[in-house]
Amino acid sequence: MATEVLWWIFAVLIVAASAGVVFSRSVIHSAIFFIGSLAGVGAMYAFLNVEFLALVQFLIYAGAVTVLILLALMLTRSGTTGLPERTDGPQKPFAIVVGATLMGILIAVAVHTSWPGNLSDKPRGIAIDAISNRLFLDYGAPFIIASALLLVALVGAIILARQEEGE
Amino acid sequence: MVPLSNYLVLSAIIFSLGAYGVLARRNAVLILFGVELMLNAVSLNFVAFAAYLDPDKITGAIFAVFVIIVAAAEVALALAIIIRLFRNRATANVDEVATLKW
Repeated sequence: MATEVLWWIFAVLIVAASAGVVFSRSVIHSAIFFIGSLAGVGAMYAFLNVEFLALVQFLIYAGAVTVLILLALMLTRSGTTGLPERTDGPQKPFAIVVGATLMGILIAVAVHTSWPGNLSDKPRGIAIDAISNRLFLDYGAPFIIASALLLVALVGAIILARQEEGE
Repeated sequence: MVPLSNYLVLSAIIFSLGAYGVLARRNAVLILFGVELMLNAVSLNFVAFAAYLDPDKITGAIFAVFVIIVAAAEVALALAIIIRLFRNRATANVDEVATLKW
């Protein structure tokens, strides 16, 4: 019972924070709401009893990615007047229509589909050793490719963002 | 306990908000926020399915790990491009950099 109440509190917080990310007029406020939304999804992983992913979500997303984005925001702040710049384009009404339609369709599908397999009424947790066994034994090759992808992406990011000579 | 459909509905709401953000925003960093929200919603969906339907093979949780890896690489590259753009054009507004060459 207490779990359900907590779940609903966190669900409302996540939806509110996500709405804040896309509706806030200030870029910095968006970033702060973004941290809240990511941390909330991490709490959802904890509710699902997947501790490893909850930790990864907090460390990588709510920690590292957010710091990176805040750094980029700091470097690309245009104007020092302090006035909030216009953050939404003229396509906003169409975006509202598309977003609302998408939400309606997705919720209808999520509620009305009967999922195959033995659906349990509560989450059966996923332990860290189960994840590591699957990841390192069965998905070893994709794991190595993913590490190569990270290396290439980081080198590429450094080359792209580097200040060239004579520029 | 909380049923699976609650997680799916929550994930659908986050995904739609992210899609709205991608479509409506003009600042490149804010568009990136929208993309990240959508990726998060997808991982939440994967993990919920793995925990409720597939606790032996847990393919969904593995998928979520790879989604996080690719999202980290994507954020690093996107921010490098945005910083580069800002240095050349002094703007992060995607409407003003639609020419693709200069």
